[in-house]
Amino acid sequence: MLLGLGVAAALLPVLVPDQPYAVQVLTLSLCSVVPAVGLNLLFGYTGLVSLGHMGFAGVGAYAAALLMKQAGWGFLPALVAGAGMAGIVGLLVGIPCLRLRSHFFIIVTLAVGLILGTLFNNLDWLTGGAEGLPGVPRPRPLLIGELRIVLGTAVGFYWMAVAVTVAAFVVQWAVVRSPFGKSLAAIRQDEAMAAARGVNVFAHKLAVFALSAAIAGAGGALRACFLRVAAPSSFDLGESINLVAVVILGGAGFQAGPAVGSLVFVALPEVLRVASQARLMVFGALLVVMALYSPRGLLGAAVALRRRMRRADAV
Amino acid sequence: MAFLEQALNGLMMGSIYALFAVGMVLVFGVMRVLNFAHGVIFMAGGYMCHAVMTHVVAFYPLALLLSAAGGAVIGAVLERLVFRRLRESLPMQIVASLGLILMVQNGVLLLFGPEAVQISVPAMRTVVPLGPLGVTLQQVLIVVVVGVAMAGLHLFLTRSRLGTAMRAASQDLQAARVVGINPDRVFALTFALASGLAALGGALLGPLFLVFPAMGDLPLLKGLTAIVLGGMGSVGGAVLGGLAIGVLEAESTLLAPTDYRDLVVFAVLILVLLVRPYGLFGRRLRGEP
Amino acid sequence: MMRGIRAIALAGLLAPGLAQAADTITFGIVSATSGPLAAAGKFQINGFNLAMEKLNRDGGIEVGGKKYSVALKIYDTHCSPAEGASAMERLASVDKVPVVLGELCSPVAAAEMPVAQDNSVPFIITVPTAESLTEQGNPWTFRVNADNNQLNKSLGQLVVNRAMAPLAFIAWNNDAGRGGVKSMQALLPADVKVAYTGYFNVGEVDFSAHVSNIRRSGAKAVMLFMDEEPGALAIRQIRDAGLDVQLIGTLAMGSGRFLTRLNAQYLSGMVQYNAFPPNAPLPRIKSFNDAYVAAFKDESHGFAAQSYDALMVAADAVHRAGVLGNGEAVRKALAATRYDGVIGEIRFDAKGQANPPSYVTQWCDDGTRKIVFPEALASACGGG
Repeated sequence: MLLGLGVAAALLPVLVPDQPYAVQVLTLSLCSVVPAVGLNLLFGYTGLVSLGHMGFAGVGAYAAALLMKQAGWGFLPALVAGAGMAGIVGLLVGIPCLRLRSHFFIIVTLAVGLILGTLFNNLDWLTGGAEGLPGVPRPRPLLIGELRIVLGTAVGFYWMAVAVTVAAFVVQWAVVRSPFGKSLAAIRQDEAMAAARGVNVFAHKLAVFALSAAIAGAGGALRACFLRVAAPSSFDLGESINLVAVVILGGAGFQAGPAVGSLVFVALPEVLRVASQARLMVFGALLVVMALYSPRGLLGAAVALRRRMRRADAV
Repeated sequence: MAFLEQALNGLMMGSIYALFAVGMVLVFGVMRVLNFAHGVIFMAGGYMCHAVMTHVVAFYPLALLLSAAGGAVIGAVLERLVFRRLRESLPMQIVASLGLILMVQNGVLLLFGPEAVQISVPAMRTVVPLGPLGVTLQQVLIVVVVGVAMAGLHLFLTRSRLGTAMRAASQDLQAARVVGINPDRVFALTFALASGLAALGGALLGPLFLVFPAMGDLPLLKGLTAIVLGGMGSVGGAVLGGLAIGVLEAESTLLAPTDYRDLVVFAVLILVLLVRPYGLFGRRLRGEP
Repeated sequence: MMRGIRAIALAGLLAPGLAQAADTITFGIVSATSGPLAAAGKFQINGFNLAMEKLNRDGGIEVGGKKYSVALKIYDTHCSPAEGASAMERLASVDKVPVVLGELCSPVAAAEMPVAQDNSVPFIITVPTAESLTEQGNPWTFRVNADNNQLNKSLGQLVVNRAMAPLAFIAWNNDAGRGGVKSMQALLPADVKVAYTGYFNVGEVDFSAHVSNIRRSGAKAVMLFMDEEPGALAIRQIRDAGLDVQLIGTLAMGSGRFLTRLNAQYLSGMVQYNAFPPNAPLPRIKSFNDAYVAAFKDESHGFAAQSYDALMVAADAVHRAGVLGNGEAVRKALAATRYDGVIGEIRFDAKGQANPPSYVTQWCDDGTRKIVFPEALASACGGG
């Protein structure tokens, strides 16, 4: 299923050629699908809301951008290093913060996101400061034996983004199906019960928090490389809150949720661009309606609809 | 001396944060709703005050009252239409707040344009000498009005029947229902009260500063920090939290480069929570380990 | 908070770009019409609109012997790099504009530049001032406005000549504010002491902590790197606190609009750099200011003048290129630009940076302004 979707996505530019704008838009939404997968693991499957997740994406972005720009690393090693860096920061943040509960934890993640954002903005010598870090190089062509895959073009980068996204989904799939994932679900249901059944709640939370931060970091690295600039405004509080909205909109705890959420969240304002001035108002109204009538997101609504139709069939 | 001076500087913004935080903590305490759209009500207060002053009557105290009343009405409507139904789900509260922020901020932009508007109350510009500080009358007014509002709120919560009902609902909703308290009425009242206070804050800041679509964004962050610092459920804690953040912001400019001021505030928040996981004045909520 | 919503779309797959009338050339504009920078964006868009009307009044643009009227396609980028990149892609590949102009935020321009290059569409920046933008070796990017260093040079000279040190800064903690401080510090000689640097967030309104610190620092002058709205608040708070310092400001603060926010007493003696002193006794400035006042009932603004000139330069380049649909020809024509604009002569150096004149004006006691730099243009009160 996943593989099929990945292949379909990869074939899109071949089937519908000469749509550079659509490729741009799709690539950019993939750049938000990846961090959304990270957040989905944390929020959808473990029940922990983080309002500062784009901060971790920023750590990955700046780490990858610096490695590519200053140290001449290739894109893929830089992406992996960026993800690792974000994972380490996630681990360090998680150790103290995961002791906190419910609302306290949420506000602390918000504070962590703001602190990271302040550092991106202020450390001129490292991050380029508020002007950002421009001139992130294009990925070099990938050489597999005699095969030379060009990644620097728009379509080439799109394919790579698809590959990274599929990898993120594979990780999510593997985690959710593993015993580790079952324990996470138990924690989400009832922490005390999970602890009583012998699950080390803190260790599980810490592991998923770091993993989720690392996936977000990979998404950030992808975005910085695609936009060719790592800038504080790409990883600020507004972006973090948007990421939560993406996950919820798609359907938290659904494997495909992040993809659906990103596509809708990023596509809808653009469709509404025709109405220009009022588009953000309309979009806001749609969010409120969704919060009221479809609390499990679009996929949740789809599942409910299908169930109702089946029932109608049965009658 | 420098520290004392900065403490006084911080008091003014601190009292705005406190006013903001009290509204949020009331709503959270009674309804378990975190209203991230509190900031746009604050902003709406500024615009309502400006509208009253320019189109109705240029009498500032009346404009203040009307803005607070307008905010209360908006709050009651939001509670009825949106937040009452989202009491169970924090994520949906965030999504709905986000939608409301988008609607209101962009609506205001369409109505009033992107430029900040200024509420002109020349009398309030009078400078009151206070040691080396030149404090305007408006700054004094802000601290005084916030103080009076807090005192009034305290009396309301402890002495009046409605206030007692609110406190009862926040402590145990089921029990409150049993003794004949209508929770829906209490919710509407709470939301109206909180929103009225937020709108009052916006109207208070207007003459000294500017009224613009995003004016509630920063106070929202500081208000959230204040209620967490104060323990998420304690009105007194929220007031102290707000004042403490205002003062901390000002003091931090003496200790660290000014571009790290927010970092100092949020780092202090995290440190406090590490030592006291339920905030300075918080206790464990029912049902929590 | 909301500007982060990424404007991306499947819409491009489904909806073809609006069909262009055959005799119209549509230029692409990236700006901000909402969010915290919407006020600055309005000046920018006013400038573009004024230029469009002027071009159309004069019969449009002649390309290869045929006359075309001019239209604008304006996209809001919310000061977000992602939105900027997708807006640029849409303008280039869906709307197929010959030139894209505008932008307010340096990081967003940095994200738009490579997209412009990929699509072979020239991009003319009209407001962002980060020096790094024209250091990227991107031959498709041009900038008509002065960068931080060019703007600050004359002001830095004035600080030295008039012995205004020790100096204090109050600046936005964003690309405009931090960039201004960084560039000014690099320009000032090492013996000019900076006594205090106070950064604040966009949207913040209370400067009392900075004012107290400046008093303690013993600074003789305060330099303000911010827009006119916070600028007015900062000056009011500095003066209300009784701080007798020399005020030094940016281009937003030398305008009649700024005076109405404060009063002559608060401003008296303040100096600021200015890319476009609206009352300067120069015909090019005067005629633009008159046209602007007639159209928008408001004194003209440097952002408007820069944007006006940028569209004129773009139209001129398309005309000289002589063909439509050939980005390289337009790029070459732009690189060879020699244009007498309202902000001064515009010609781009090898990096695509123009070098328009910058001015320093000073407020007089009666609420008028005078030019104090360049000395050749030094004017009496009322001429700034």
